[in-house]
Amino acid sequence: MSLKVGLPRALFYHTYYPLWQAFYAALGVETVVSPETNKGILNKGIKCVVDETCLPVKVFFGHVAELCEAGADYLFVPRLVSVEKKAYICPKFMGLPDMLKASRIQQPPLIAPVINFVKVTPLQKILDECAAPFTRNRVKINRAWQKAWQEQKQHEENLRKITPHHDLTILLLGHDYNVYDRYINMDLIKKLQQLGCQVMTAAHIAREERDRQIEKFPRSVFWTYGRNLIGAAYHFMEQPGLKGVIILSSFGCGIDSFIDNFIIRRLTEQKIPHLNVVLDEHTGEGGLNTRLEAFVDIIRWRRDYHQGYVSPHGQYLGSAERNA
Amino acid sequence: MGNTWVALKGMLEYIGLEVVVPPPITKETLFLGVQHAPEFACLPLKINIGNLIEAKKLGADVFIMAGGTGPCRFGLYAQLEKEILEDLGYHYDSLIIEPPDTGYWQFLKQVKKIVGKASWWRVFQGIRFGYQKALAVDKLEKLVEEIRPRETVKGTADKIFQNALQIIDRAQNFGELEESYILSSEKLRHIPQDERKKVLKIGLVGEIYTLLEPFASADIEKKLGYLGAEVRRSLYLSEWVNEHLFLKAKGPSIRDFARPFLNHFVGGHGQETIGAGVAFANAGFDGIVQVAPLTCMPEIVAHNIFPEVSRDCGIPVLNIYVDEQTGEAGINTRLEAFIELLEARRKPDGKVVSKPDAVQGVAQDVASPIPREAAQKAANKEGPDTLTM
Repeated sequence: MSLKVGLPRALFYHTYYPLWQAFYAALGVETVVSPETNKGILNKGIKCVVDETCLPVKVFFGHVAELCEAGADYLFVPRLVSVEKKAYICPKFMGLPDMLKASRIQQPPLIAPVINFVKVTPLQKILDECAAPFTRNRVKINRAWQKAWQEQKQHEENLRKITPHHDLTILLLGHDYNVYDRYINMDLIKKLQQLGCQVMTAAHIAREERDRQIEKFPRSVFWTYGRNLIGAAYHFMEQPGLKGVIILSSFGCGIDSFIDNFIIRRLTEQKIPHLNVVLDEHTGEGGLNTRLEAFVDIIRWRRDYHQGYVSPHGQYLGSAERNA
Repeated sequence: MGNTWVALKGMLEYIGLEVVVPPPITKETLFLGVQHAPEFACLPLKINIGNLIEAKKLGADVFIMAGGTGPCRFGLYAQLEKEILEDLGYHYDSLIIEPPDTGYWQFLKQVKKIVGKASWWRVFQGIRFGYQKALAVDKLEKLVEEIRPRETVKGTADKIFQNALQIIDRAQNFGELEESYILSSEKLRHIPQDERKKVLKIGLVGEIYTLLEPFASADIEKKLGYLGAEVRRSLYLSEWVNEHLFLKAKGPSIRDFARPFLNHFVGGHGQETIGAGVAFANAGFDGIVQVAPLTCMPEIVAHNIFPEVSRDCGIPVLNIYVDEQTGEAGINTRLEAFIELLEARRKPDGKVVSKPDAVQGVAQDVASPIPREAAQKAANKEGPDTLTM
């Protein structure tokens, strides 16, 4: 029986799944991916970690528990410290394998390479570690990596393709694992599309453009997601047309508590309408639907009826004379 | 941040700057901060903003703030504070000192910007003076921690310590500092104590701000002391300065103890928290209390790992998060229950928990001190529903 590697469909899976899957496929290793998040998975995750942990990590633990039940021989849980120079991911990602070991999930051996580009870890070492249980043949590993990297690049390019659109563009700012997990964000993208909006995410903006835009920020932002979001926001501000920004974050996210504040301040200066959606374990959809509809309606009214008294950001725009 | 102001003020005044010490943190400070800070920001930021607003009213016009390169949020504190204060119409010049880890030259340049005309020798002496003050305060504080559970009249040590802070603050040169330190420590040593009393030893670990600032942690250290426990913190200002600013660490680093539980640096003091926990357990402490601000990322990682430390080292751990909800009664109850549990464990019959009903509330927070294999077996049998918290 061939060995199976389990990939939890959570956290960085949403960003790097083409890479991971292609890599193991090229090595001839079978991969099992946990199903899309559902209530059962979320509940399992909530039981595995302390309450204070943020939603995405809870979801991650749920996926791991699911995979362990499905019987994977190895679990791929990289310790993602940093994927680019001068920027970290998040403290919780750094401690992920340790948190997993401390949890009560009965788990198969972990494949947990340390991926840290702040300090230069040689790529070869990471790759060797990823492939260690299956092969030590470097030629084979490197070939698999080349192929996987192509695949990932292709995927990123496909994401960037955007059809020029008519009506209203909404920039959805959020971490990949919130934006692409359709269960925890209650299919936000589809909801927006049904309301006739075109949805842009940070993934639509090329890395170089992001790095150029982030220069405008007075200090260096040392989180990759923070850089993505701020860069995307700056880029979006320069775009013409009718637009609004939805900021999607998870309850208790340490990074977003700061980054969102920076972004909101800048959007407010530019008078760009924005909506802050915070996700947690609650799954009532009604509230979210109402907020989205209202948000989109308000943006359209501001255009169609020139209703200058509709505030983009909570500022009082009423007539002073009328109240006098 | 706790008694840090004594050292910092000493240093800056020695160099020849005028210092505005913000009034002690009160509910008012916190309220100001909470009003203007982002909702999910951590407690230290909220208090910081409150401090800065209050200091502005007293006439401060420059704030000095440490920077950082992540991944803890602290690295962006200065920027966020500046923007928030600007929005409120408080104009501050900010001087952000990047840690020397990122390059000594940069660090020196920024220091020069702050001190202006003072000579380097003066600056060097100033830093030394500040450090000496920090050292004196920390030594006295450790003494107080030992005396608190043993003193016959509760509160004596704290009164003397408060007085000592004033004297140390007033000291203008090395001689006066030495004298005031000796005087205060003598006073402390003369407090009548019950020498034979058997006290519990508790290690207090967690995030640096909540450890050093009593207001932020609802005075946990004092409370534990009065409940009859000798408390030792994982962090003291002078030790921290020694390790981070003078870059010399003596002996094995506290982080080394964190293996194999937490094998990687997680920002902030996450790894130190676990490491200190293990070190305390090895040193024969009776229990560990972890304090952290709500949503603190590194401490949440540590919190998730503590159950394992607790199982392996057989030491109970209590995790307390603090935020702007400052209800003290809840914390008091939890601390009392924790202390009772520790006392029960120490009883000679070896029975850890005599009445399970009585300590159920605590048992949820405190991982059971049963050996690991047994705990795991139990966990397998009962399924994940029995998980703590």
